[in-house]
Amino acid sequence: MGKLQKKGKAGAAVNYVTRNQALKKLQVTLADFRRLCILKGIYPREPKNKKKANKGSTAPATFYYAKDIQYLLHEPILGKFREYKTFAKKMAKVMSKGQYSTAKTLSENKPIYTLDHLIKERYPTFTDAIRDLDDALCMVFLFATMPKTDKIKTEAVENCQRLAAEFQHYIMRTRSLRKTFLSIKGIYYQAEVKGQTVTWLVPYQFSQDVPTDVDFRVMLTFLEFYQTLMGFVNYRLYTDVNLVYPPKLDIKLDEGGAGMNALIIESTQSSANISKSINNNTSNGQAASLSKEEKQRLQESEKRIRALSNKISQIKETGADESMDSKDENSENQDDALDEFPMPLPNADGSASETVTFSDIQRASQHLTQFQSLFGNNYVYLSREVPRYSLEFLVRTLGGRVGWDSVLGEGSPFGENDDRITHQICDRPVQGHLFLSRYYVQPQWVYDCINAGKLLVTEPYGVGKTLPPHLSPFVEAKEGDYVPEGAQFEGETQDLEIESGDEDEEVEDDDEDEDEDEDEDEDEDEDVEHKDLHQIELEAEAKGVAFTEFETKGGKKKRAATETTSTAVAGKKRTAEEAEAAEAKELAKIMMSNKQQKLYRKMQYGIDRKAAETQKLTERKKQLDRAAKTATAKTKKAKK
Amino acid sequence: MSSSQPKKRVSAAKPAPKQLTKPAPKAMPAPKASAKKGVAPSPPTKVTHTPKSKKRTVQEAQEESDDEFGNEDMEDSGDSDDGEAEEFPEEDGQDMSSADLDSVDEEAESDESYMDGDSLVDSQEELEDEDEEEEESDDEDFFKEDEIDPNFGRNLDEPLPEESDYKPIRREYPEIDPVYDSDSSTEENENTVGDVPMHWYDDYPHIGYDVDGKKIMRPATGDELDKFLSTVDDPDSWLSAHNYKDGKDVKLSSEELEIIRRLEGGRIPDADYNPYEDSVDFFTSQTEVMPLSAAPEPKRRFIPSKHEAKRIMKIVRAIREGRIVPRKSGYVPPKPKYYNLWNDAEDKPREEHVMHITAPKMKLPTHDESYNPPAEYLPTEEEIKEWNDLDKEDRPKNYLPQKFGSLRNVPGYNQFVQERFERCLDLYLAPRVRKNRLNIDPDSLIPKLPSPRDLQPFPTRLAIEYLGHQGRVRSISIDPTGLWLASGGDDKTVRVWEVATGRCMATYHLDELVTSVAWSPNKDVAVLAVTCGYKVGLILPEKLFSPELAIHSEDFVRAGFANVGTTEANAKATWKQPTESEYAQGIRVWVHLLKPVKQVTWHRKGDYFATVAPDANNSAVLIHQLTKHQTQQPFKKTKGAVQRVAFHPSKPMFFVATQRYVRQYNLQRQELVKTMLTGVKWISSLDIHPAGDNLIIGSYDKRLCWFDLDLSSKPYKTLRFHSEAIRSVAYHKRYPLFASCADDGNVQVFHGMVYNDLLQNPLIVPVKILKNAHERVDSIGALCVEWHPTQPWLVSSGADHSIKLFS
Repeated sequence: MGKLQKKGKAGAAVNYVTRNQALKKLQVTLADFRRLCILKGIYPREPKNKKKANKGSTAPATFYYAKDIQYLLHEPILGKFREYKTFAKKMAKVMSKGQYSTAKTLSENKPIYTLDHLIKERYPTFTDAIRDLDDALCMVFLFATMPKTDKIKTEAVENCQRLAAEFQHYIMRTRSLRKTFLSIKGIYYQAEVKGQTVTWLVPYQFSQDVPTDVDFRVMLTFLEFYQTLMGFVNYRLYTDVNLVYPPKLDIKLDEGGAGMNALIIESTQSSANISKSINNNTSNGQAASLSKEEKQRLQESEKRIRALSNKISQIKETGADESMDSKDENSENQDDALDEFPMPLPNADGSASETVTFSDIQRASQHLTQFQSLFGNNYVYLSREVPRYSLEFLVRTLGGRVGWDSVLGEGSPFGENDDRITHQICDRPVQGHLFLSRYYVQPQWVYDCINAGKLLVTEPYGVGKTLPPHLSPFVEAKEGDYVPEGAQFEGETQDLEIESGDEDEEVEDDDEDEDEDEDEDEDEDEDVEHKDLHQIELEAEAKGVAFTEFETKGGKKKRAATETTSTAVAGKKRTAEEAEAAEAKELAKIMMSNKQQKLYRKMQYGIDRKAAETQKLTERKKQLDRAAKTATAKTKKAKK
Repeated sequence: MSSSQPKKRVSAAKPAPKQLTKPAPKAMPAPKASAKKGVAPSPPTKVTHTPKSKKRTVQEAQEESDDEFGNEDMEDSGDSDDGEAEEFPEEDGQDMSSADLDSVDEEAESDESYMDGDSLVDSQEELEDEDEEEEESDDEDFFKEDEIDPNFGRNLDEPLPEESDYKPIRREYPEIDPVYDSDSSTEENENTVGDVPMHWYDDYPHIGYDVDGKKIMRPATGDELDKFLSTVDDPDSWLSAHNYKDGKDVKLSSEELEIIRRLEGGRIPDADYNPYEDSVDFFTSQTEVMPLSAAPEPKRRFIPSKHEAKRIMKIVRAIREGRIVPRKSGYVPPKPKYYNLWNDAEDKPREEHVMHITAPKMKLPTHDESYNPPAEYLPTEEEIKEWNDLDKEDRPKNYLPQKFGSLRNVPGYNQFVQERFERCLDLYLAPRVRKNRLNIDPDSLIPKLPSPRDLQPFPTRLAIEYLGHQGRVRSISIDPTGLWLASGGDDKTVRVWEVATGRCMATYHLDELVTSVAWSPNKDVAVLAVTCGYKVGLILPEKLFSPELAIHSEDFVRAGFANVGTTEANAKATWKQPTESEYAQGIRVWVHLLKPVKQVTWHRKGDYFATVAPDANNSAVLIHQLTKHQTQQPFKKTKGAVQRVAFHPSKPMFFVATQRYVRQYNLQRQELVKTMLTGVKWISSLDIHPAGDNLIIGSYDKRLCWFDLDLSSKPYKTLRFHSEAIRSVAYHKRYPLFASCADDGNVQVFHGMVYNDLLQNPLIVPVKILKNAHERVDSIGALCVEWHPTQPWLVSSGADHSIKLFS
């Protein structure tokens, strides 16, 4: 016999501690504990048996994993918190005495803590950090639009704006955006960064009203962590694509409302020389700031002008080069694809469609490159009433050139009268002057194009037209789900040739397969006919085949025969069969055990609810169609 | 009023000045403030109170002053008090001396002179009402007296000459001759009641008690006229005050008057006290020529501090060694620096741990969150209302789908910050649990059973309906040949039907409800046992059978009557001859019992039959022998209310079902063989498998239990498929079938295969639900099921008065 186990020495009793126990152990206040938990990513647990975890008490309590709390004991930030507390006390004392010079020196020695080690600890690899980036991005993008209040500091908002712009630049540079969605809450974007899908939500750019029922201490603690995380992630992302981090901020453009364009993105090779000069400049600037303000202003403006001219030339060069390169690449790729693909196609479809072949990968990559230069040859102009912060990002990410009205900010590369413009995005009921050389579309066109992965016809998105419904690209329809019209993006594309061909082929293949199956069946049937029916029955019985099974097998050919003769009867028969099957199911349910019955009922409940939802939507759709039909009929009559 | 009295008072109040000095500063601020502001001080209102002693008046004045600068409530009460005091003399004015009245009046007048409209005016007017005639003269007097004493009634706002240039007045007290009896205080007839309100003594002839405890009688007082006269006569009457304690008028001395006047002026009552004494500087700011201490300055005042030097050296050393780097003036706290935190070569992903649960990602938006969703996603008005009525936590989604014509119409989402905040809360506050989702097809839970088609034959459809009963058909039975169906019901008839055609061949009208019918299982004897109220009848339907069989049956049934004489009569049951008419109908024997009979069942050989009368306690179960017309009571005692009994189909066994248990008895050895624990609440029916090793019971709590007698005392299978109480269960005699019927009107047919191999469990497969075989009447559906003895046919009867045969 093993050693007797004492109660409360193992298992849940030692694995979990309640929050109050944790507070006592750590000797911190609840507020400090909360901040620690947020920064360290510690969360409460739900023990399987609360009674065992709480010394036999069933009183409601929050449980933490005991080891989490144990690790917290050695957390350097905990010490920093304590230091800060003493600092605050000292400061209050000094201030109350009116010793301002002491206060100044004290404030200079204010304890500062960094969260670097926490980020490394929580995300041991870079992929982990990317995987958990969704919340960080949402938070940063939200605070980038927040008004500055007594709780929300200006620095925090500015830093968020900067981090958001940096991340967007990275996405643009790497063209890693995949999906986007205009929801009532804001604009969703999904990108693929280092093989991980990252989704974030950006609010529509209105002034956020700061609610009173929100505890900003919690949010700001999260923000503090997320800012640091984003900083490190951005650094890593930029260095991975050979860009200088942090990018320089063009003050003039920033003031002119250029948004993310105010950042000057430089690659490390080219910037080697420039960085030197900039360093010089900055040192000069610093000197100036030290000496006199006027001097500084002068120098800064000079610097700005210099930088601007440099930049413009750079942009022109690099932009042109890039576009040229990408075009070339694309054309090459396309050529290659045209050369390569016709050969492996039949093989891939015919034999092994499940296994991933080289051609599949190639095709996927080709598809991706095509997608990445979706707006490759397009010059898109934004009217003043459309959201530039989103559209510019999207179009530029997918290779397009964007110009905008001066109301939307400075720095537009081309004006409205430019001949190269292929699409003008406007969101007004009537467009006054129309250029015949360009399409006028509503903003939804851009989003739908991205989700469809191809340029859609612009006709339904014209000025003042009732838009087709905008669907979420994130929904993956399962069996039994309601699929709204146009969910497969069956909208006409501007280049239809390739895909339609594929589809046809596939359909044909399926038909062939079916035919083959039927043939095989027929063969079997023929064999069967040779033998004596009774003998076969006996054999089947000896094998243990139930009579019904046997019958169904045998009946196949009979049915096949009857089906050919009378198709009308088939419908009725099927319903009878269905009814029989339903009855058999009902009968079999009687023999289920209690436990199984409960489980079955539970599962069935969910399925039924889903089905009801689908049913409701389909019915409503039918109703709407009917209403629309009658309406059109009426209008026709009225016209006559 | 003796002149010695005021003297004594003064002497008694001799230590007063010393005492006065203490409370004086307290009283000071009010008059001072008022003087400074140049506002007329509020009038003294307590003058009419008897100045029994100086001390007392001073205290009162103090109270007054207290009132003045502060508590208004107190002041009010003071006023009302004054009113009372003022009115007091008026009430017993008849007894009051004229002097007293006068003094009161004058005081009031004097009040009026330097005060405009205070509460006192009212009382003053009241007084005036009483003595309107004397008013003028009073006034005259007042002015005369004013002339007489210029000091009185003088405007007190003006500072006194003594005050402006202060000269301490040396008060001269009358000389006391220090002889025996010089202190007259003991002699005096002093009232000892103490400081109590004197109106307590209003209704008594005395006004208090002296030192010896003797009553001091109220001194005689004249009427108003006397009072008036005395004021006229006595020139000092205006100087006197009434002492209520002694009930006498006391003339105030000039010192006392002075005190009153000072109090009225809001000054310190004691004229000797100087509040503005010259201050004496004990410690001056000027340095003295001669220091207080002659000690020499210590050395430490002249040499630099060692401690300081140490501390400074420490800092200097630190600076030299570079431990302390002095900051430049424009110090800015360092900005966060970013660097490559991750090193791909060395980084190891975190090991999978059970306790590490990553936060779930946010749910991705669905179609209905679109700013321009398909029209079918938009909620109806009812749905919007329902959503609004729900609590925030109960809502399935935190938004309502909306459609906007174009992007420019889309407003900012006002819940954005809140939702982000909730996400934050979820991240750090919500307990995380790993939940295993069962990802299976629910149909896989349904057991795979052999198809019912393989288990044919079993009844599937209605073949014949037997109509004719006028009430519920409670019981049915098919005779062993399978030709005749007997039924009995609430219409007090027993009917015999031809099974194949549905024709009613015979009807027997009885006088009570028929609860049970049963054909004798013996093919050679065509007897039908019928329970009806308190009796069991044996019916011989002659017409239906061949004459030989009828005669044989007749003989068999009635043979027992010859036996009656020989055996002693059983008290529990009496065998009786039917009447002539009953005999003509076909009834051959009556067995009368003590309680209503619910069930009759035959032994397989057709000689014995058992009856159940649940109300008859220990004689609930009786076994009757037909050939001998004898009745036995097998159990002396029964445990619980017996519901059903049954004979074993082959062995001498007997089954008794009580509410919860089924007991198996060996009739030969007369012992309990087995008790079956059904686990149901109330057994309704019982049937034994024809092989004798299995039995089924139906219960009112919707359950059907199958017992394998060889296996266990607990059910092999408990099934719940009826939605109402099961009324009857039955095994087929030949086919592996059994059926149940219930109050939901359904009849359920099962395939119940029992194998000879003991190791193989019985196979139970539901094969057919005959839905709504009987209509529900008064929440009772099908009442009885019975199988045809040779064919796979099922007969059921119900509360809808019908009998149905399914084939």
